Amino acid sequence: MSIFNFFRSSAKTPATQAKERLQIVMAHERVGRSGPDYLPMLQQELLAVIAKYVDIDQNKVEVKLDRGGDCSTLEVNIELPQPDQERKPDGKPANAESKPPLKQAAAGGAALTKGGIKRR
Amino acid sequence: MSKIIVMTSGKGGVGKTTSSAAFATGLALRGFKTVVIDFDVGLRNLDLVMGCERRVVFDFINVINGEAKLNQALIKDKRVENLYILPTSQTRDKDALTKDGVDRILKELVKEFDYVICDSPAGIEKGALMALYFADHAIIVTNPEVSSVRDSDRILGVLNAKSRRAEQGMEPVTQQLLLTRYDPERVEKGEMLKVDDVLEILSINLLGVIPESQAVLRASNIGMPVILDEKSNAGQAYLDAVGRFLGEDVEHRFVKPEKKGLFNRLLRRSA
Ligand SMILES: Nc1ncnc2c1ncn2[C@@H]1O[C@H](COP(=O)(O)OP(=O)(O)OP(=O)(O)O)[C@@H](O)[C@H]1O
Ligand SMILES: [Mg+2]
Repeated sequence: MSIFNFFRSSAKTPATQAKERLQIVMAHERVGRSGPDYLPMLQQELLAVIAKYVDIDQNKVEVKLDRGGDCSTLEVNIELPQPDQERKPDGKPANAESKPPLKQAAAGGAALTKGGIKRR
Repeated sequence: MSKIIVMTSGKGGVGKTTSSAAFATGLALRGFKTVVIDFDVGLRNLDLVMGCERRVVFDFINVINGEAKLNQALIKDKRVENLYILPTSQTRDKDALTKDGVDRILKELVKEFDYVICDSPAGIEKGALMALYFADHAIIVTNPEVSSVRDSDRILGVLNAKSRRAEQGMEPVTQQLLLTRYDPERVEKGEMLKVDDVLEILSINLLGVIPESQAVLRASNIGMPVILDEKSNAGQAYLDAVGRFLGEDVEHRFVKPEKKGLFNRLLRRSA
């Protein structure tokens, strides 16, 4: 085995990269399309409930449907704001006026993952 | 029994027309009375691939508009018994296709034919929708390449949501994958998606794998469906696929690289 083969064997082949990229992009595109009719509604209502308690950024929400052989998994990924940004009892975020820039919020935010709404 | 079959893909140029011509011819060879319809309004090509371009007088749109009778527009193939072609118009646009019009013609055809093959245009717009709307069965033509696979997934979504069967809550359109322009040697080298990967990504059944083949261009140049070139690997792969479609258990060929012995290489050069 030449030294080049040695290096190459640990790298992903272009075909493998193609497969992985397709799986990721298509999982996103399938949500609300090939899924059951209630999926988009479910997503909206879930978000509405969570938004009642925490200030969530719609752009920091990721919904993914994985189609498997005999069961599919709905994964909802919501990034929560920093603790001091959570709503006060009066319903308004503590520092609504002086939000940190998005990137910073992302770094400080906690990620909440709700896995496992399964359907046949 | 499935009667109306659509060849569809989303992406353009992947082999729908080649496959429609081959498949229709294959079914007719098996004794089924078969018609193949060109839905690619404005970009008529099926007539060339089938070799009947000089016999087109009336077309699909003429029949929809009541300017000609169905029997005047149907072209009977000269080589294969039971095979008919319904060409499309070269001058009009896709708006000439109306759901009612297409429905009317298909109902008439289904009475007379065992199989109606609809050669879809590319895209997911009106023309493609019309081609797939009335289908009982869909053959998804895909190349082992990222954009083709992604577009196939989109067209599968359209089939599941916007076909007549979906809209009317009937049994869903059955779906099979036809993977075309497959190059086993490039797959072996890790340069091309392999069959199993595409099947896994699309979660769909496999109808057949058609290898990348020079026979396809050769056949279309002379206006002969490649399935009639029984010596070619592509022709044989289409024959196998037709067998599988009819429920036969046919092993998949042409998915592994050919053995590269000296003898084989010499043979290939002379082929
Ligand atoms: N198995 C194959 N091997 C080599 N070339 C092929 C193969 N299948 C199709 N081709 C070539 O690919 C080109 C496109 O094929 P074809 O016209 O059948 O595609 P299409 O999906 O109908 O295109 P469009 O979307 O424009 O209608 C043609 O030049 C054809 O000869
Ligand atoms: Mg075509």
